[in-house]
Amino acid sequence: MTSLEHSQREGKILILATETCAYPGADSVGQAHSSYPTNTFILRVRAPVLFPEQFYLDCFKKGISGIIIMSCGEECPYDGAYKAMATRLDRVYKMMRQQDLDIRRLRLTAICTVCNRAFLNEVNLMNTLLQEIGPPQMAQN
Amino acid sequence: MVDENKDKEKTSKRKVGVYICYCGGNISDHVDVEKVRERVEKQPEVAVVRTNVFMCSDPGQEMIMEDLKNGTIDRVVVASCAPSLHETTFRGAISRAGGNPYIYEHANIREQVSWVHHGDKATDKATRLVSMAAAKAEQLKPLESIRVEARKHATVIGGGIAGLRAAKDLADRGIKVVLLEKSPFLGGQLANLDRIAPTGDKAAELVSDLAGQVLNDDSITVHTCSAVENFEGYVGNFKLGVKKQPPEMDQEKIKQLGAKDEAVGEFIPFAGIYNGAMPSVPEEFTVETGVIILATGFKSYMPYKGEYGFGEYEQVVTLPELIRSMAENKAAGNLMEYNGRKIRSMAMIHCVGSRQIPGIHPENEGGYLNEYCSRTCCSAALNSSNIIRTSYPGTRIFEFYRDIRTYGRGQEELYEDAARNQVVFLRFDDDASPKVARNTSHSGDFPLTVKVKDTLTFGEDVEAPVDLVVLVTGVEPNNVSDLVEMMKLPVGTDRFLLEVHPKLRPVELPISGILLAGTCQAPMDVGEACNAAGAAAVKAAALLGRGYVELDPFVALVDLEKCKGTGDCVEACLSDGALNIVEIELDGQTVKRAQVTPALCLGCGACVGVCPENAIEVAGWTLKQYEAMVDRIVAQEVAA
Repeated sequence: MTSLEHSQREGKILILATETCAYPGADSVGQAHSSYPTNTFILRVRAPVLFPEQFYLDCFKKGISGIIIMSCGEECPYDGAYKAMATRLDRVYKMMRQQDLDIRRLRLTAICTVCNRAFLNEVNLMNTLLQEIGPPQMAQN
Repeated sequence: MVDENKDKEKTSKRKVGVYICYCGGNISDHVDVEKVRERVEKQPEVAVVRTNVFMCSDPGQEMIMEDLKNGTIDRVVVASCAPSLHETTFRGAISRAGGNPYIYEHANIREQVSWVHHGDKATDKATRLVSMAAAKAEQLKPLESIRVEARKHATVIGGGIAGLRAAKDLADRGIKVVLLEKSPFLGGQLANLDRIAPTGDKAAELVSDLAGQVLNDDSITVHTCSAVENFEGYVGNFKLGVKKQPPEMDQEKIKQLGAKDEAVGEFIPFAGIYNGAMPSVPEEFTVETGVIILATGFKSYMPYKGEYGFGEYEQVVTLPELIRSMAENKAAGNLMEYNGRKIRSMAMIHCVGSRQIPGIHPENEGGYLNEYCSRTCCSAALNSSNIIRTSYPGTRIFEFYRDIRTYGRGQEELYEDAARNQVVFLRFDDDASPKVARNTSHSGDFPLTVKVKDTLTFGEDVEAPVDLVVLVTGVEPNNVSDLVEMMKLPVGTDRFLLEVHPKLRPVELPISGILLAGTCQAPMDVGEACNAAGAAAVKAAALLGRGYVELDPFVALVDLEKCKGTGDCVEACLSDGALNIVEIELDGQTVKRAQVTPALCLGCGACVGVCPENAIEVAGWTLKQYEAMVDRIVAQEVAA
């Protein structure tokens, strides 16, 4: 595989990280100077429940290869937001299937403020997957 | 298309100033900051890009203020460390320049770039993050903070020396205080000591004096046997659910109480001040408070079985055990006694449970190493050695150390005194710890030997026969995982609670209204813990002094022109009463529209995701801003 092909297969990973849990968790990884691939782009969010279904599909359409939603999980400071988020993702997965998008490209997980290993694991898992499946087809249309 | 062009015309008038920090090499050692500057200058919305060695310094902030004042820019992006450290700093600078603090966006290129990525890729990624921030900043609008009344009341969690100091300092500033302590005793770990280095003050007197002041102050309510079980609210208006229950901890200490009523208010050696009122059944109550000071303290490191023979040989003990024994057995004589045995020769082994090194020291059960220096144990060990050598001149002492760290006033003298008192020092390398073994080669007279390769004598193998081995154990943070989860507290890799900035905001947490005091943050001696507690009390008093606090205005906003009054947002809303459908007059017609009650809105955005008209957004965190950032992630030209 040429470096260009490798770079294309590497893809870009969007990480939606909650400001109370996962975003400081990502900072904690930095404080520990633990390296991870540079194809990761972290957006600080108050709660990922903000994003409508179409946002995810548009991201894939624009060229994002994988999205990891790093939420607070059950520790979400907004009572009920995590459940609403999970329900919405069910609909997103359904829409992804309809568009022949591999649903593994979108992953919901919980990362705490000191979950360094979990953060690195999620990034590595998504990268391994993207190496296997390459960029989303709809992005190339 | 026409509307889109109009929008572009509007937004193209934005002048985003981008300020990139070298962070004294923390960023610039891995990111080519000037290359980032050159690339970001090409972004259409960017009016100016400047760099500085320390953007958070006065000259760095003044650079931003000057550009705002002279109209060069009207939006600000700072690319530096994590926003939890300096977002407030730069918003403050904008305010001082007469700007609105919410026209600001932060690019995190230290924790999320230079500390985790290297080489050209780090520079590329930093460029993209800065470009993303500029794209968001272009869309930011001035916002007004929400002002809410603040309760002039503080809660201190932890009744050790730092908690007591903070409570008293707050009360002296006219603030009502509730002090919550898990155990039945006040005084914390200080109560487990005797003479405090380097001054020789009695721990009992220090604790009794301060706890007495606290207990006699009408502004302070002390609840022992009490722990926080629930937490909600925000700065100025926190609500804590507290459970008071019969103590499960400190059973040994409780046995010392004897007739409980007589002991109330008195110092119980190696326990603390007993406050009485030990509950027989659990009870729950609520504390409504404006600020919270965490003074949850530390615990002594407990060696694992076999660490320098601990748990295998009865003659291997910890420094806290030695201190207690010395305090309880003060009989004069030529030789010190420990557990009834005369000690002719003893070893002190330093750095036990501190400065642990990956690959050399085993991780604890949780998979952690204590890589930090516990800071107070060198002085504590030397202090004990000096007392022993001057009180029991026949007891010889060998101190096995890696480095001696007697920082601070009067502490180096302890080291010099120890040398004068003929304490013998032996130094070992990090990977060549002393070996404690049963004595088989010295006629069985001494029960143990300590062997070491002594670097002070250029690697000579030295063997010291001893009656007692004292492990100079360090400190570890108390387990406050319940509070960490409840309050979303940041924790460092050393497991101590993590301040916003170690130098500029050393007692603050990113959660406004929650402050740090004492050894929950790092190893400290008594004076340092009281300093931190005093600082936290002043910060708390300053927060509550105005009678109100200002909250970020990140609440839902309805676009009345787009809203069709479907009510989907009301159904999705997670906060009762924050969103309602109301009838309003619009263009001469009565229509239904969503209406936000800002004081009740959580700003979570649950309403945003469900609106079929895209008519509602969270101020400062809009969907369009996120979309603009994603566009920059995928844009080809950004990193070129």
